[in-house]
Amino acid sequence: MNLDYLLFDIKRTLRNRRVLIFSILMPLILFVIFGMSLKQTDTEAGISAIAYVMVSMAMFGSLSAAMSSGGVIAMERDGGWNRTLRLTPLKPQAYVVTKVILSLLLAIPPLVVVFAAGMIFGHVHLSAGQWASVALVSWLGALPFAGLGLVIGYVAKPDSVQPITGLTTMLIAAFGGLWLPVESMPSLMKHIAEFTPAYWTGLSSRSALSQSGLDMHALLVVLGWTVVLGAIGLRRFRADTARA
Amino acid sequence: MTTTTAVTLSGVTKEYGTVQAVAGVDLTIRSGEVVALLGPNGAGKSTTIEMLLGLVRPDQGSVQVFGTSAVDAIAAGQVGVMLQSGGIIEDAKVGELLTLVAGLHRKPLPVKEALDRAGIADLADRKMKGLSGGQQQRVRFAMAIIPQPDLIVLDEPTTGMDVESRRDFWASMHAETARGRTVLFATHYLEEADAYADRVVLMRDGKVTADGTAAQIKASVSGRTIRATVPGADLATLAALPGVRTVETRGDVVLLQCADSDDTLRYLLSNTSAHDIEVTSADLEDAVLAISAEQETLA
Repeated sequence: MNLDYLLFDIKRTLRNRRVLIFSILMPLILFVIFGMSLKQTDTEAGISAIAYVMVSMAMFGSLSAAMSSGGVIAMERDGGWNRTLRLTPLKPQAYVVTKVILSLLLAIPPLVVVFAAGMIFGHVHLSAGQWASVALVSWLGALPFAGLGLVIGYVAKPDSVQPITGLTTMLIAAFGGLWLPVESMPSLMKHIAEFTPAYWTGLSSRSALSQSGLDMHALLVVLGWTVVLGAIGLRRFRADTARA
Repeated sequence: MTTTTAVTLSGVTKEYGTVQAVAGVDLTIRSGEVVALLGPNGAGKSTTIEMLLGLVRPDQGSVQVFGTSAVDAIAAGQVGVMLQSGGIIEDAKVGELLTLVAGLHRKPLPVKEALDRAGIADLADRKMKGLSGGQQQRVRFAMAIIPQPDLIVLDEPTTGMDVESRRDFWASMHAETARGRTVLFATHYLEEADAYADRVVLMRDGKVTADGTAAQIKASVSGRTIRATVPGADLATLAALPGVRTVETRGDVVLLQCADSDDTLRYLLSNTSAHDIEVTSADLEDAVLAISAEQETLA
């Protein structure tokens, strides 16, 4: 990866506030709507219901932020920017790595903001260790979506990339149980949920708060999704770069 | 500089579907030359440049840039490129874009220096999408010189510029060639090739049809142009005259490209009612037309 390139992309992203606002405000509003209607004593899947919703919404924000780099890639491919880069010493792999790192950086603000809202408004009390653990696992949960962003970025056209990303994000969040707890879904929906990466990221993140400790199985599935989506993304990237 | 050859294209061809974009080009550019690749749209200039830069793989033939592959020469920062359009980021500021490009190269020109040389120091804080076509071209030019390259390749650099911008642009360009850089630029403006290139390579239908200094190309067409008003001219007869290469008409005015204008003049004066006759020697444009016409006859 190239640090100048990363800084360049960060500056552009900060200026284009739409992505940041969408990925932070949406989950924050949803957390306020769903979380504030719950009582402190409510529980869901063995943890405080408010904490459950907090983690789900934070994950939703971070996965939509992580996927947003797909839009940037699609635009840059279309505008001939990749041709320009091929005429510099920058290695094509460095471009991809920079975009993935950008995705992971963008995934952080939604986590921070929703967790802070949970702490301040939702009165979610966790030990420092638990906060650190849930934050780290949630952040790792953004990895498969950075890969998915890559796939979309190399498949979609610039005019279709926004709707594709938006729709995918919503479908994954809804069917993966980030908006409504999987526990409250009918059994068919539960089975469907298990086929989405978001279900496993939610499961592993929430497990950081439970008594029984981290759900290593869920975490492995998350990493599996990362490998699969990352590999597809890299294949698409190679095909795109080789096209002469 | 250990090598004296900047670019070698040997028998490169490229086909897109049924279209033969480049039909076998051999071209050697020595270090320090300023070469114009001149030809109409569709002559294969852009494809030739894309193959030279390694953006497009030739179907046949080979490309060497400074004795190595284009990719390696680019990785070493030896090549600066200014493409025709696109290739920039619309929502980036000029200064950011140049800082990025500088960050990708090993021995970059300081950004401020690049801005100054391209004459766009006042645009550093402006976003690309707010700039005029000519201003964007200047940013592309700044991007091309940042690597401090030995070879600069420009694909129709002045497209979309007004006359004044074009003059300013070539003044900036001249400062770079004065630094001993090798330059290859594609253009369909004859006067640019004539004014700024040491050597003109004429392309048509994917082939090089002439190669030499502008003066040599003009001289290769030894003929003259006769312009005369000939009421009721019999074009077929005129075209069939031994010394005549091509015939054009604009109303009663006949333009004759002649290899031997003297014979043609004698014929016009004795056999037709031609008047207002002017005879001019070929300029580069006539030369290009004549060479193109020859190609058509051969084909």
